[in-house]
Amino acid sequence: MREGMRRVLERRGYLVRTARDGESALSLLEVEPADVALVDLKMPGIDGFKVTESITRRFAGRTVVVIVSALATVEAAVEVTQHGAFDFLVKPFTPDDLVQVVNRAVQQWRLIREREKYLSELASERNLSHQMIASMHEGVVVLNIRKEPVLMNPRAEHFLGTHFRDGITLADLFPDLEVQAAIEGVVEAASVKPETRILQHAVGDAEAGLASFGPGNPPTYGAPARTSGAWQGMLSLSVSPLMLDGEAGGAIVILTDVTESWKAEQDKNRFVSMVAHELKSPLSAIINYINVILTGMFDDNPAKIKEMLDRCKVRGEALLDLVRDLLYINSREVGKVERSIEPLDLKAVIGSQLEFFKVQTEKRRIVVSLDAPLDHYPVNADRGDMDRIFMNLISNGIKYNRERGSLTVRICEAGDDWSVSVTDTGIGMSDSELSCIFQEFYRVKSQKTSGIAGTGLGLATVRRVLGEYNGRITVQSKPDAGSTFTVFFPRTTREQT
Amino acid sequence: MARILIVDDDTDLIEGQRVFLEKNGYQIETALTVEEGLQKAKESAPDIIIADLMMEHYDSGFVFCKKVRDLPGLAKVPIIMQTAAPRKVGFTFDAGPGRGRDWMKVDEVLTKPVPLEHLLGKIEQYLSSAGSHG
Repeated sequence: MREGMRRVLERRGYLVRTARDGESALSLLEVEPADVALVDLKMPGIDGFKVTESITRRFAGRTVVVIVSALATVEAAVEVTQHGAFDFLVKPFTPDDLVQVVNRAVQQWRLIREREKYLSELASERNLSHQMIASMHEGVVVLNIRKEPVLMNPRAEHFLGTHFRDGITLADLFPDLEVQAAIEGVVEAASVKPETRILQHAVGDAEAGLASFGPGNPPTYGAPARTSGAWQGMLSLSVSPLMLDGEAGGAIVILTDVTESWKAEQDKNRFVSMVAHELKSPLSAIINYINVILTGMFDDNPAKIKEMLDRCKVRGEALLDLVRDLLYINSREVGKVERSIEPLDLKAVIGSQLEFFKVQTEKRRIVVSLDAPLDHYPVNADRGDMDRIFMNLISNGIKYNRERGSLTVRICEAGDDWSVSVTDTGIGMSDSELSCIFQEFYRVKSQKTSGIAGTGLGLATVRRVLGEYNGRITVQSKPDAGSTFTVFFPRTTREQT
Repeated sequence: MARILIVDDDTDLIEGQRVFLEKNGYQIETALTVEEGLQKAKESAPDIIIADLMMEHYDSGFVFCKKVRDLPGLAKVPIIMQTAAPRKVGFTFDAGPGRGRDWMKVDEVLTKPVPLEHLLGKIEQYLSSAGSHG
């Protein structure tokens, strides 16, 4: 019987293995899996039903069982399928009957295999998308159609400072009402007009630590304090409708950390505002003078007109200085200007700066002295940077000095640095003024300083440039006595020369 | 002769406005700082005050205005604030009527450069309305 069936099937191209009882069939299948098993119902040892059950249990989805039996009754057929067989072949049968049944079983086997494959692909895809979402640098929050969060990746939990749990609400994640409304709007509009919305969301005290507008006390922001250690910053939210088979199914919110660029932009905006203010103030003064002159009310007083025009000139020149300073700062920032580092002598640099200011110091009868006992004070630096540092300090020492005062520049050795102190005998500064003088656009404003032109960028630039050389600047001052600015600049080491 | 107090840290701006307003028949007092402005306000009891917003601090003008209003006899003095600050900087304020203006305690905010004729017009407007009330 087995051999007859084998011949028929082998002629049709099937590979056939035979076993003579249930147990050997099962152990054969262990080593050589079969796509179709033809199982006789009546066998020595365990019967065909038991064997069928074992096969379908142990090789589910891999082997299709066909029962071969002489019991050609409906009941028997039902029982066979109940035990997990796919079909049955009634004895006696012709070779064609056998081939037909086997072909059907093979077809069934293919269907099962395809389905299995599809299901396992689906499972691994699900697993993959889950892992992808979990690994993303961006935060992901998925909302269902009722606007309830149903998924949050670890990054989103980190940004929003809360863990996903059942029953969590949109308001738990985004306390900001405007943000809630925007997200809800995307879900609601999804079926009519699916659109992505981009918005910004501040988490915690994002604005803290920003440079404030203008000198003096910074404005404080009333952002709620969050538990320490929680992430805070600025998020960009991209809210897209979640479409499931073309139907609105909720929303996907992608959270990106944009704190750095946001802060830079805020700083830039503030800086531009300050620049606008600093440009408008002198222009207002100049335009005022010119308009007064144009009214003709001083046509009979040429001396007054000349006085006003002189002030226009001073303010106009100060504006030019400001523009130059701004361009210098900008060129440093974008790195357009390559520094050309060369061996320089601080004594020579400072000497030529003092020479440059000679006319001004003589005009105000300020006694200038350079106290530098050594012949040379070598440094490696860019000449333009050195000039800018000492030009600013010497110019301040003259501008804020008194008539017949003194200006002393002293160069000393200070550890690995040269220290250069510039001491004036001028108006000096209070402690609160001292704390602000390195801020951009800060200028000490009092009756004593009124009329003294300046850009408010000098010392800020000095400190910034020194920072690039690992140098630093300190200041000591006493109101009405004078100020000493001390620059520490790395000395050229023996190996460098 | 109506008395005007100008408080601004820019000596040139003050000078231009001073000579122009004097030629138009006003008596001008000037101050460069909040402290000096308060002193002058006390001494001269001006009919109108023109104050800068950003002096020693970014909001010195507001502080000055509030303190002036607290001085005896100056609770209702018209105050015109002038500023070169752009409208949107660090803090925002609304120069229009409403809560913002109540808090600022100024009658008018003008953006620099304020044309002299415009400033003169505003001064005349406030002085005449103050006169009709008083």
